[in-house]
Amino acid sequence: MSQTLSNADHLLTTRGVSAQLGAFVVAASFDRAGAQAAFALGDGSVRLLAGEAWLTVPAHDGGALTLAADTTPSGFVSGGDDGRLIRIGRDGAVREVASYGMKWVEHAISFAEGKAALLACSVGKHVHIFDGAGAKLKTLTHPSSVTGLVFDAKGKRIAASHYNGASLWFVASKSDSPRLLEWKGSHIGIAISPDGDAVVTAMQENALHGWRLSDGQHMRMSGYPAKTAALAFTRSGKWLATSGAESVVLWPFTGGGPMGKSPTELAGGDETLCTFIAPHPQQEAVAAGFSDGLVVLAEIGSSRILPVAATGRGSVSAMAWSPDGTKLAFGTETGFAAVVDFTKR
Amino acid sequence: MSDAAKPTADQVPVTVLTGYLGAGKTTLLNRILTEQHGRKYAVVINEFGELGVDNDLVVDTDEEVFEMNNGCICCTVRGDLIRIVGGLMKRRDKFDGIIIETTGLADPAPVAQTFFVDETVRTKTRLDAIVTVVDAKNLPARLIDSAEAAGQIAFADVIVLNKTDLVSPDELDAVEAQIRRINKFATIHRTSRGNVPVTELLEQRAFDLERVLEHTPNFLIEDTHEHNEEVASMSFEVAEPLDQEKFNAWIGALLAEKGGDMLRTKGILSYAGEDRRFAFQAVHMMADGDFIGKWKAGEPRVSRLVFIGRNLNRPQLRRGFESTRAK
Repeated sequence: MSQTLSNADHLLTTRGVSAQLGAFVVAASFDRAGAQAAFALGDGSVRLLAGEAWLTVPAHDGGALTLAADTTPSGFVSGGDDGRLIRIGRDGAVREVASYGMKWVEHAISFAEGKAALLACSVGKHVHIFDGAGAKLKTLTHPSSVTGLVFDAKGKRIAASHYNGASLWFVASKSDSPRLLEWKGSHIGIAISPDGDAVVTAMQENALHGWRLSDGQHMRMSGYPAKTAALAFTRSGKWLATSGAESVVLWPFTGGGPMGKSPTELAGGDETLCTFIAPHPQQEAVAAGFSDGLVVLAEIGSSRILPVAATGRGSVSAMAWSPDGTKLAFGTETGFAAVVDFTKR
Repeated sequence: MSDAAKPTADQVPVTVLTGYLGAGKTTLLNRILTEQHGRKYAVVINEFGELGVDNDLVVDTDEEVFEMNNGCICCTVRGDLIRIVGGLMKRRDKFDGIIIETTGLADPAPVAQTFFVDETVRTKTRLDAIVTVVDAKNLPARLIDSAEAAGQIAFADVIVLNKTDLVSPDELDAVEAQIRRINKFATIHRTSRGNVPVTELLEQRAFDLERVLEHTPNFLIEDTHEHNEEVASMSFEVAEPLDQEKFNAWIGALLAEKGGDMLRTKGILSYAGEDRRFAFQAVHMMADGDFIGKWKAGEPRVSRLVFIGRNLNRPQLRRGFESTRAK
C-alpha cells in the first residue's frame, strides 16, 4: 500500500471501469456469480456492467428505489416508484414479479443458498415474500410503513424496521405473528448479525438501537451527527459498520459489547461525512464512501486506509462488493459510477 | 447572487394543501395538475381514488405521524414524508415543485414540523406555503365542531375561501371576518369552484414572510377583542436593532414554555451590526431562521414578529420582544 491520498485515484484509474450515468445512483449490486454489476438510478433505469460493457435497462417508469442480486447466479431484482418489482436478466430482459399500483416498492432483498431461494419486497406496511420462481408465498403486515428489510444469514427469518421498532418473522412459519422488537421512535434501516442474535436499527434521531435476541437486552448506540443511511455487520460479526459520522464508526459486538465500549473510528479527520459503507464479504475490512466523493478501503485490525477514488465526483450514495470480494462497485448522487477490481495481478 | 443569498436556488418548493373534507381540495388539486402552466409538480396524496390524474409523479401515502424522541410531545413529524421527499429528491430534475395534500382531519403541524426536523428534507426542500381550502357555507359549523378546522386556518399562508356562490354577500363577509380573527396575515382568495389562478397558490415564498409582510398593509391593526381560548393572531414591531443572543434566549424560552399554544411564529428581524434581514419562523416549539437579502437603502429597519396561537398575552409578548433590543 504505497499509494497516498495525493494519488487517491490510482486504483480507480488503473483498475477501474467508470462512467457518468447522468442520474442519482440509488443502489448498486453484483449478481451472485460476481460477473456483472448493476446500478439503479433515480431516472428509473438500471445500468448493467460486465467487463467494460455497459447496458441500459429501462426498468421503472419514474425512479428506481431498490436493487438486489436475483436468487439465480446471474440477474437482478429491482423495485421502483412505479409500484413494480421486476427481475432483470443478464441480457437486460425484464420480467415483472409483481405490481402494486401507485405504492412504491421501497426495499427488495433476496436469499439463495443451495436449493433455497427467496425474494422479498416492501410496499408500504406490507412485506411480500416470493419463492425463487417468483410465486408469492405470503404477505406480512406491519403496524406502519416498512423502512428497512433484511434476511438473516440462513434465510430462515426476515426482519423489518418500522415505527416503534422492528418485526422479526420466521419465513416458513405457519402462524403469522412476528417477534416484536419494541423501541419508541422512527426506525429507518435494519441489520442482523451473522449469528442471528443481534438486530440493529438506525433511527431518525441520529442514533442506533439494538436488541440482543437471546436475552432481550437493549443496545443504544448514539453520537452521530447525521442519520445512519448504511449499516452492516462485518463477515465475522465482530463489528457493526455504520455511516452517519465524519469517520467509519465500527461498534464492537464481542465480549458483551457494544454496551460500555467505545466504537472504533476509521478514515476520519477530514470533517466530511461518511455517507455509505460496505463491509468486505471475506475480510475484516470496510469500504466507505464520503460526502465529498472520496472512496476508501479501511482494514479494521491495522486501521490502514487504502484510497480507491479521489474526491470531487459527488456524494457517495451506493456501494456493493462482489460475493468473492474482488470487485467493488460504487455510485454517487451526481451519477458517477464505477467498478474497481482488486484481483491480485 | 450576493453573500446574503440563501441556499434556496437549489431547494425544491413544497406547497402543503390542507382543508376540511368537502371544502373543494381535490377539485383544486385536479385543476392544478391539469391546467397548462408550464410547471411540473410531484403530488403526494392520501385519498387515492378521488384524484383523476394518474402519472408517475403522483405518490399515494398513508399519513404516518410520530413523536420525536426529544421529550417534547408537540414535536410530531410525518415519517412517510421524510421517506417520500428523500425518494423524490433522487429524480429532482423531473419536477419543479412538490404539493402535499393532507387529509381533511389532519393537524398541519406535523407536516410543517417535518420541514424543520429532518436534515435531508430541510436542506433539499423549502416549505413554500400552506394553502388551506375552506368552504364558505360550512366553515362556521366546522369551527364549532372541530379543533382541526381552526388549526388549518391558523397555519395557512394562503386561504382559498371556496363555494362562495352558496352564501349571501353578508354571510361571506361574516365568514371572512371569522377567518381574520384567527389569522389576519394569510392571503384570502374568494372562489366558487377553486377557480383561483395557480400562480396565486404555488411558489409564493410565503413561509419566509417577505411577501406576507409586503402584502399586509394593516399589519399593525390592533385586535378589537380577544377570546383567549380561541386561536388568534398578534403582531409586534420594534424600531431599534435587536440583540441576536437576547432574542434567541427570549424566543427559545417562550416557545419551550408555551410552544403547545403557539401554532406559528414568524418574523423579519433587524439585528444590531447586521446588514441583512433575518427571517425567523417557528411551528410550535420548533424554530428556524436564516439571513435573507439585505435591507434596502432607506428602508426602515423595523423588526416585526407575528404570533398565531391560543392564550396569547399581548403585554407580556410586547415586553418580551422589546427586551431583546440591543442597548
